[in-house]
Amino acid sequence: MSTVLDHSAQTGLAASLKNVSKSYKHFQLKQIDLELQRGTVVGLIGPNGAGKSTTMRILMGLVNPDSGSVSALGKPISSREAAAKQEIGFFSDDMRLYQPESIGWHMQFVRSLYPTWDDQYAHELLDRFGLIERQAVKGLSQGQRVKSMLLLVLARRPQLLVLDEPTNGLDPVAKHEVLTELMSVVKDESRTILYSSHNTQDVEQISDQIIFIDRGRVIAADDRDVFLERWKRIKLHVPDGWRSPSVAGLKLESEFKQLRVFSLNQFQPEVPARLAASGATVEAVESMTLEEIFISTVMRGREEAGL
Amino acid sequence: MNTQAIGILFLKDLFLSRRHLFAYFAAGMVSSVLTCIPDSTVSFVGFLLMITVAIAAGIHLIGTLLLGESLGQTRMFVMSLPVSLLDYSLGKIAVVLTTYLVPWTAMLVCCTICTFVLPWAKHGSAIVLPLVFLFLLCGFTIQLVTAVVTESLGWTICVMVAGNVLLNVFLMKVMSLPEIVAAKQSDVLMWPPIVVQILVVESLIIIGGLTAALFFQTRKRDLI
Repeated sequence: MSTVLDHSAQTGLAASLKNVSKSYKHFQLKQIDLELQRGTVVGLIGPNGAGKSTTMRILMGLVNPDSGSVSALGKPISSREAAAKQEIGFFSDDMRLYQPESIGWHMQFVRSLYPTWDDQYAHELLDRFGLIERQAVKGLSQGQRVKSMLLLVLARRPQLLVLDEPTNGLDPVAKHEVLTELMSVVKDESRTILYSSHNTQDVEQISDQIIFIDRGRVIAADDRDVFLERWKRIKLHVPDGWRSPSVAGLKLESEFKQLRVFSLNQFQPEVPARLAASGATVEAVESMTLEEIFISTVMRGREEAGL
Repeated sequence: MNTQAIGILFLKDLFLSRRHLFAYFAAGMVSSVLTCIPDSTVSFVGFLLMITVAIAAGIHLIGTLLLGESLGQTRMFVMSLPVSLLDYSLGKIAVVLTTYLVPWTAMLVCCTICTFVLPWAKHGSAIVLPLVFLFLLCGFTIQLVTAVVTESLGWTICVMVAGNVLLNVFLMKVMSLPEIVAAKQSDVLMWPPIVVQILVVESLIIIGGLTAALFFQTRKRDLI
């Protein structure tokens, strides 16, 4: 599936993956095509094991694809190339810092590799995140560890941020602090964020665009608002022997006696009238949450694939 | 290749291993001094300690600096920085080798000096030192290749154990060669052809091992 995300206010690509595939013994990433426009926040949503982390690691050159090409900020990406990484900040929940060393030591180490390191901003983040510069990593809580790593990423002022599950395991306050900081980062319109999570609420909060990925395939991609506008839940009260009219994207989710609940992924204003004309009473047309849309998309995709 | 990045990675690992480095250096010095004491039991204990320090330092440094980065998931952090696989590999193999060579060189130099300075030591016995120390370095480089290829501490330990057994066979066979026995007893340092041949073979294994380690490390497709 080809996924080209447009953003009218932007020009140029921040990153692209073309026809990227990668096979492991028990998992395959299949022909991923992604183009991230500069200045957008793209949420990558998928269940555990869907291929989010593999996609991000390929984008960072940590994993080499079996086929396809990858570039970021106009430069090729592979394990043999380092140039693009000067302007990319990568965070992964699986990433660890050196346990015996302090946050300050890590700041010094990262600063030595980045001419763009902003020391003042780094110290602002230390204060904002409530971190202590001389504290050793081994004594940090999960939230402090995540914040420390984000500090090391953000203080480089990267043009592209690749964040793999950055809010995983955080308490609500820590999550709020992290998301608030990310929101302030995207005020700079030239910066792009690719953000993965299986928590749709986090993604919905900060993303302009959404990509759904399941079992190694991109199954849907669009602007967040388009997703929310197109997907509706329709509740109908139907007479005996009622037959559903042909409406593109309409799928029965549940039924109880005369009540039918449908999900619709191509909602048009005239759809309720068409359903009413078929003899049904439209009880409600409701918006769906991103989580509900995600689940419906995954289940429809699996049904179509016969899984 | 980014020499600045390689230098930074090298210094980072050198700093992280500073405590181990000091400990192995100190243990190496103590064991070499014991080797030079004119009491056969103490000197033998010193020799055993020296071999133990060399083997333990090798496996420990490979475990912490090379395999530990993968097992502890810090490699992902390092590789997310602007370093290429070649930069990472060169920095890593250089630092593992350097940290090993610190106690190795200290022990070799200390024993060599003792052989020439102490009045009861025969100068000819100094030929044993390069033979044994290059054998230890051979074992280390083969462990390094194993660690790079398998990324497994278990396999690396297996190779270390095999190397340890081979060291005993080496000592038993080589040290009983008539040319070497004669050279050891001499008051003058001599280099019989067999010794030179063994040293050349050991050197070639070391160079081959380091080249293979770098080759396999830089050919890795996935780093995590």
